[in-house]
Amino acid sequence: MDEDQLDLLFHAMASQPRRAILDVIRTNAGCNVNFVAGHFDFSRIGVMKHLDVLEAANLLISQKNGRERSLFFNPVPLQEVHEHWTDQYSRHFAGRLTALKRNVEKKEKSHD
Amino acid sequence: MTETTKAVFRVVINGSIDAVWHELTKQGEAQAAVFNCWLHAQALAVGNSMQMRTASGKYAMVVGKITAFEPPHRFAHTFRFTQYDDPECEVIYDLKQLPAGVECTLTVDRMPVGTKTAKDMQGGGSMITNTLKAMVETGRPSLGTRLMYWVFARMEFVLSKKSQVQNWPLK
Repeated sequence: MDEDQLDLLFHAMASQPRRAILDVIRTNAGCNVNFVAGHFDFSRIGVMKHLDVLEAANLLISQKNGRERSLFFNPVPLQEVHEHWTDQYSRHFAGRLTALKRNVEKKEKSHD
Repeated sequence: MTETTKAVFRVVINGSIDAVWHELTKQGEAQAAVFNCWLHAQALAVGNSMQMRTASGKYAMVVGKITAFEPPHRFAHTFRFTQYDDPECEVIYDLKQLPAGVECTLTVDRMPVGTKTAKDMQGGGSMITNTLKAMVETGRPSLGTRLMYWVFARMEFVLSKKSQVQNWPLK
């Protein structure tokens, strides 16, 4: 991934609404723009602008499905970033730490 | 009726469309992009059976039938992990020449929701596309992937007996 693509990716991810949009698409693979817009207070045009930014960063794949467009989250660029900055060993130990964090936080949440 | 879903993975590869096509359809050697498995088929043509076997040739990890073979743009086949009893899904590779390189889109269609197949395919899609990119652009997978394949080759004995090739004749 070249520097320009990295800039597009981090720009796309540096926005809370765009991350929220990605979450909606990730958990509802193949949904359309109206479905996404229904989850947010901002306008459909606003949603479409965010979708354009996500698509430019290759985080979003839009496929024509009749008169509509089906939206899919593309995890490949994030995987590329992960592979670029980690190796087999750091992945192993970082993975153990994140699993520890997740488990402890899950237990504490269930005690609340 | 089983509920199904679809996943799409896309990467742009800096190389020729023929090189990408070759990586996805080569036989007689390991396909590093697809977990170092070997593609077996009597002939690559629509309707024929295909398998992805381990390097030793003792285990068939994936079995399916070729549903599209349009060099060098589309290769598709049904897909079933031999170790699971899940319904089959379909794997489709679409290649498109762009000014910046070759756009490779991997679509996994009709994935049965909540199954081990769906879980493995959601995780494996990014790895396949990124390793394919590494193979075409650098000639080899990343160090982490090479280490993983090294371990795979030595741990083949832990695979399910159900996946042994004698249980999956290539028709």
